Amino acid sequence: MALLEINHVFKFFGGLAANSDIVCSVEKGMILGLIGPNGSGKTTLFNCITGYYPPSKGEIIFNGQRINGLEPDRVCKLGMARTWQKVRPLAKLSVLENVMVGALARTNSLKVARHAAMEQLQQMRMERRAHFPAGGLSIGERKKLEVARVLATKPELILLDEVMGGLNPAESEEIIQLIIDIKKRGLTQMVIEHDMKAIMRISDRVVVLNSGEKLAEGAPQEVVRNPAVITAYLGDANLA
Amino acid sequence: MNGAARLRPLAEIRGKPRGFAATGMVAVLLVTAGLVAFPRMVASPYALHLMILFFLSVAMGESWNIIGGYCGQYSVGHAAYFGVGSYATLMLLQYRHVAPWWGVWVAIVAALIVSLVIGSICFRLRGPYFVLASIAVAEIIRLIVLNWKQFTNGAEGILLVDLPPLEFGGRVLTDWLSKTPFYYLSLVLGLTTLLVNYVVEHSKLGYCLQAIREDQDAAHSLGISPPFYKNVALAISAVFTALCGVFYGLYIGFIDPASVLAVDLSVQMVLICIIGGIATNFGPVVGALVLVPLSEALRANLLSKLLFSVGLVKESSRLGGFLKENLAHAHVLIYGILVVVVILFMPDGVLGFAKKLIAKAARPLSAEPSPLIGGIDGPA
Repeated sequence: MALLEINHVFKFFGGLAANSDIVCSVEKGMILGLIGPNGSGKTTLFNCITGYYPPSKGEIIFNGQRINGLEPDRVCKLGMARTWQKVRPLAKLSVLENVMVGALARTNSLKVARHAAMEQLQQMRMERRAHFPAGGLSIGERKKLEVARVLATKPELILLDEVMGGLNPAESEEIIQLIIDIKKRGLTQMVIEHDMKAIMRISDRVVVLNSGEKLAEGAPQEVVRNPAVITAYLGDANLA
Repeated sequence: MNGAARLRPLAEIRGKPRGFAATGMVAVLLVTAGLVAFPRMVASPYALHLMILFFLSVAMGESWNIIGGYCGQYSVGHAAYFGVGSYATLMLLQYRHVAPWWGVWVAIVAALIVSLVIGSICFRLRGPYFVLASIAVAEIIRLIVLNWKQFTNGAEGILLVDLPPLEFGGRVLTDWLSKTPFYYLSLVLGLTTLLVNYVVEHSKLGYCLQAIREDQDAAHSLGISPPFYKNVALAISAVFTALCGVFYGLYIGFIDPASVLAVDLSVQMVLICIIGGIATNFGPVVGALVLVPLSEALRANLLSKLLFSVGLVKESSRLGGFLKENLAHAHVLIYGILVVVVILFMPDGVLGFAKKLIAKAARPLSAEPSPLIGGIDGPA
């Protein structure tokens, strides 16, 4: 059984269908890449899955449970966590405290949370930064902090919204290794990314959205050769 | 010198060197011992009155700090809880002859109910909209109290005629005739709210509140329910604000909507925190330390007296007469200007400013540059 099933999900904003009839599923342990041009509804789909928007129609099933309309904090407790395209560090808290807030989703003890958070930071080789204010980190470190915080909530499914956006190649490479590491630990991931090279390397399957609709789905190599996908990204070759 | 670009450990920024907790504890105990002994050493009722005002301001600031500081929800309607607390106790005492130590429980329950109602309405809104809603709801409560004459005695207010002596085991502990019992009561209130702030800051609740303050959506995605935690914070804050109101009513002996339910009072609570240092344990203490003497000095027209005594302005001159006449009335204006100056030049409050100065003094300019300077980008 798939860990996450998205059954005919629609999301309307007034007359605009930001997501329309999206069907896809994420198997346990896999990485699903989600790509599409700007405004194609990728982040909206993330928001529907994680509870920020209730879907207008359709069903989202996580671990066999229907989660439509559950609040984001409930969804997090069920084992799903997301990062944000525009990073959201808790700026005045220290890096360690940021990760602790994530860890507190699973414990009421500050001591346990502090310990878990420190371990998480060590795993990501960020312990040097533990006591620095999160607001002062570089963009690369902020993105890593987002992932660390999300991992501290002990999720089964992680949704990464453009964690490589704005990073330099070295930082991107570090994030790619991180995503591969997370996969090795048996966690499931859904990744929005514009960097095609990265998405080709990490994804087991890729879903392409365009204007709110699912345009294509398949193995990465298949999808990039799909004429419909090429048209969506580059325009119609015959019209050029 | 670009201080913002340099990344410093939080401990340095927050001014908490190692061993701070221990020395802080000792300092608090020493100061407390001094304050306990104060009425035995100083007989002046005016000095006691000033201290009582100071403790009450500390308690009000600390109460507001929980929802406004840690949770970042700038309620400018806290007079509602203050007023509800004082009205509940004084109405029971004056009309039903219920002793205040029973009435105070009614005040607490009333404040809890009001806070849950206000919370469920106002927390649907964020940022400035929340602020406006909190003012509006508090004003509604003030207008109800003002106009429901049969119940609250309207604008005439309630005069506390006699406060029953506090008895315990057949022995009269106090008859409330001097200021000393009020002094100790306000001291306990101030210390309790300080302690509550400390406990909140060092608990899961405090982390959740600060996460909501820093970024509500991010907090929500990390398993924190903003409505739940905001309401919990508001309830705690409201209960202690109501206790301040109860104390005020009993101490001053007269309440009316203009004194215990007005927006001025709400603003004052916010200012104590902002001036002192928001979302810190001792911020409201510092804020009260600045504001209480300041407003008292301005009220007593000390400024023009100072100008005369220094010889800057002659009392007999036209300007002197003008100042003597009008400076006392201008105390609200001067107070306002000072507040603006503090907010402009000390965004972290007086406490934050002092910590920054200390950190700067502790780290001479010739110190080696931090190895962390490289690799730090500007804000993303």
